[in-house]
Amino acid sequence: MKSNALTGLREGAMRLDSSRSLLIRLLMLAVLVLVPPMVIGSYRALDNFKRGLGPEMDLKAAAIARDLVAQLERAVGFGIPVDKLVGVDEFFAQVLSANPEIRYLGITDAKGDILFLRGALSEQLNDAYRGRSGRALDDSGLKANIADFVDLALPVHVRDVPVAQVHVGFDQDYVAAQLFGIFYDIAVVLVVSLIIAFEVLLFVVVFNVSGPMKLVAEVVAHARRGDFTRVPGITSADEVGHFVRIFNSAMRQVDGAYRGLMAYIDEVRSGHFDREVAGQVSEIADRVRFLFRFHPSGAPLVLREKLSSDVRLPLFLFIFAEELSRAFMPLYAQALPSPAGWLLTPELLIALPIAVFMAGIAVGSLWAGAVTERLGSRKVFQFGLAPAVLGCVMSGLAHGVIELSLWRGIAGLGYALVTVACQSYISKTTVDSNRATGLGSYVGAVLTAAICGTVAGGVLAERIGFGPTFFVSTALILVSGWLLSHLLAVVDHGAPVAAPVPSGRPLLRIFANWRFTVLVLFAAIPAKMALTGYFFFLVPLTLWNSDHSLAELARIMVLYPLVMLAVSSQSTRLADQMGWRIGQVALGGLIGGAGILSMLAFDGTLPLVIGIVCLGVSHGMSASPQLAAIPDICWIECNRHGRTQVLALLRTLERVGSVIGPLLAAAFLLHWGVKGAVIGLGAVVLAMAAIFAMVAGAYGSGPHLETEEDVP
Amino acid sequence: MIMRRLLLGAVLSAVLVPAALVPAPAWAESPARSPAKPYRIYMALWRGWEDAAQGFKDYFTNQNIPVELIIRDAGQDRAKLPEFVAEAKQLGVDLVFTWGTTVTVDMLGTYDKVDPAKHITDIPAVFAIVSQPVGAKVVPDLASSGRNIAGTSYLVPMDTQVNLLQSYRPVRKLGMVYNPLEKNSLVAADELRELGRKNGYELAVAPVDVVDGKPVVESIARKVRDLKQDGVDFLYIPPDTFLNVNRDVLTGAALAEKMPSFAAAENPVLSSKAMFGGVYRYYTVGQLTAYKAEQILVHKKAPADLPIDPPRRLSIIINMPVVRALEFYPPMGLLSLAEVVDNGAEVRQ
Repeated sequence: MKSNALTGLREGAMRLDSSRSLLIRLLMLAVLVLVPPMVIGSYRALDNFKRGLGPEMDLKAAAIARDLVAQLERAVGFGIPVDKLVGVDEFFAQVLSANPEIRYLGITDAKGDILFLRGALSEQLNDAYRGRSGRALDDSGLKANIADFVDLALPVHVRDVPVAQVHVGFDQDYVAAQLFGIFYDIAVVLVVSLIIAFEVLLFVVVFNVSGPMKLVAEVVAHARRGDFTRVPGITSADEVGHFVRIFNSAMRQVDGAYRGLMAYIDEVRSGHFDREVAGQVSEIADRVRFLFRFHPSGAPLVLREKLSSDVRLPLFLFIFAEELSRAFMPLYAQALPSPAGWLLTPELLIALPIAVFMAGIAVGSLWAGAVTERLGSRKVFQFGLAPAVLGCVMSGLAHGVIELSLWRGIAGLGYALVTVACQSYISKTTVDSNRATGLGSYVGAVLTAAICGTVAGGVLAERIGFGPTFFVSTALILVSGWLLSHLLAVVDHGAPVAAPVPSGRPLLRIFANWRFTVLVLFAAIPAKMALTGYFFFLVPLTLWNSDHSLAELARIMVLYPLVMLAVSSQSTRLADQMGWRIGQVALGGLIGGAGILSMLAFDGTLPLVIGIVCLGVSHGMSASPQLAAIPDICWIECNRHGRTQVLALLRTLERVGSVIGPLLAAAFLLHWGVKGAVIGLGAVVLAMAAIFAMVAGAYGSGPHLETEEDVP
Repeated sequence: MIMRRLLLGAVLSAVLVPAALVPAPAWAESPARSPAKPYRIYMALWRGWEDAAQGFKDYFTNQNIPVELIIRDAGQDRAKLPEFVAEAKQLGVDLVFTWGTTVTVDMLGTYDKVDPAKHITDIPAVFAIVSQPVGAKVVPDLASSGRNIAGTSYLVPMDTQVNLLQSYRPVRKLGMVYNPLEKNSLVAADELRELGRKNGYELAVAPVDVVDGKPVVESIARKVRDLKQDGVDFLYIPPDTFLNVNRDVLTGAALAEKMPSFAAAENPVLSSKAMFGGVYRYYTVGQLTAYKAEQILVHKKAPADLPIDPPRRLSIIINMPVVRALEFYPPMGLLSLAEVVDNGAEVRQ
């Protein structure tokens, strides 16, 4: 039974909804409607851009070259020999740093020998320059392709005698690289808008069409078995509502006919003297009652089934809003004024907002679980909305890092309350059979929102700045709050189930289960450390330091949720087929740690891309097997306290890693610089994963459910 | 003493500040006055008509402010200065312009010793080319003179000079020949030594010989030779009157020793053989001084409300014939910012 439910959960996670084919058709329609105009529009824009950019580059190179020639002619005119010019390198460096599209600047003498060159290697250019020595240049100069460069040469004259040439070089594929960046941006915007369109469609279809139909189908199925106790309670004014009203009147007619019949039978029974007739009538009545069931209250019960997928869109919007600041949070902290010295080093202060946010989530979710049981998801949700909005809007207004951290902590509290309320809503509105679909919808919303939010946040922050992006987040949270409170208001939350609140002490005995403890310490915690310390903190800082724009930064960072989404669906299937959950967790940990450590082998942006992809693979590979393994390795505890409790404990414990991650990274940053911090954190994560991998070998050995006999 | 000065300041500002706060409406008065009656300015000069005086005069021409200039040259004779004071008072001019430290101190007095009988007190005054306005006690503070005078400073701050020098070439040992009788030079030497500690160079000084209380011109060349033998790679020329007079001897000796030189004043570079300098041009200083005069005369500002400051724009002057003779070329970045003196001729060593 339990394993069936688990398999169901995993299969269900893959299945969006039973109305999938309709959705796919709608999505294709959306693609057809959205994509062609955008592609045509952007193609035209790019074409213009391409035609404009080439000549623009030539003009700029020529302007820079003319300016350099003028300065050189002045210097040489004063009697300074060309080969004895001083400080040319620094002089060129200034020009190059002000004009990033220019790759190199150089001076050759009349024979074509390189005297000064900055930005390229002489070997790359020597042959080409010597090859054309002796050719006199006119004042418009000579444009030539040398290897990957476009080289513009202008002559330097002194008293009409050419003494040297100035060379300005730019990348041949600079234009292509620019175009690629723009293409990429357009593609990202396109994908994000498609995903959002899909989310909205999904919501509209499920809320208005497939949800009500499902409810009707359920009632019809009951009716086929003779159960006429319920009618679907749909009150919308559209065709669906119309249909349901007609259907309901038919149901009520049957209900009325039944009650009429019963009244008649009662009349016959009480009024007839013939016992035999009375007995026969009673028998008929019993048969009817046996075959058909009607609600005892005198009218059919109105059924308003809550659908777990209702919360998907508001949840998507909420997570989307929270993820907007993902790519730039450490940069925002860096840009804010911070109190210097004391115990708080600048590095630690940059990490603080992330760490406090995580701590806020940890504290919030510890508390939210218990509160939700008592108050119901709607109240907790409304309660959580206040800190979420407050934290978000004040983050945008913060004047210092300490203040920002405080607001981030409050936002984290709100985040935890809202997400826990949504989760509990989903598990309340679902039964075992469709809980998997519900949770699948939750995970799907969170991951797609992470993808869209990260990218959109980067683009937004670049256009409107850090602070205003938080205000956009706030607006989105408010929209999501409005939607959610509206939806949750439609259905009353029913009698709050007085769930047994387990006392913490017996649950803590779970640590005696070494398999659980090792899983928490060496798999769950390092995974979160890598996520918050590396991905949330060090990656944005490193990319920013190497002169990437915010949009580029977000583009690189979006690889993580993308890869994770792709890998997790495959790996779940794999885990089910192979039954290799612990192995996947171990392998995932090793891949993540090794990916981060690729910083040792490469320079530039490449190791970060490798690290992010590996982290996506790692978490996609190990996240759900890690949860799925819990019922196996904590069989007794799950039986005793309930699986939810054990999973909640794991969730809470791994958040310790979320808090430690950025703080540890900041400590490394202080001592070893950015690169050293990445390597240090990678080493810690890899070492912990290696310990887990070694111990994991022992998981399968020994009696698998070693203390089963102890179950009382 | 300090109390008295504070008290004086307080009294003065009590008198002057209301006047500054309620300026006479310039549009009402000046156009009515300009065609009929030009401002009368008494210019007391020390060594003839030069660039600062020219800049002062040109400013009024360019700004279209009518002025009548009464020009008097002391010809470096201090005895003439009391006559100037008497004449200015008798003419009842609107403003007095004083050139140089000696003229300024003798005609305007120092802030702690003003005698209305010997000095000009009632007529507002502006001064120019005073190397140490505070050191010479012309003003107590560069923010305000605290009395009826305003003015400009013209020396480049020492750390700016050192940065400029280092941007030509990093220097390891800086040499300085100076007149030990001039306090300015002693102050400069102290500042240079202090900055050397931060900027990584060593200062070697060579005071010229003094016989019968007078500096000996003949000793200059020998002092330069001594410095060269001491391993000095750059010569610093302080704003020293004795060396200014004998600048050809000093810079000639430096060139003979193949030693590049940096001057803190413009004359050694512009009209002699110093290699380069960072200065505020006298002409610009004269213009800025005229601007202060305009504030007082036209805009009716109180002189005590005008700070004593140098021009914004630093002039980097490079003496190209000397550069070519030394084959010690300036970096491109510096050259692009510099004014170049180049008569096309080659200098003889």
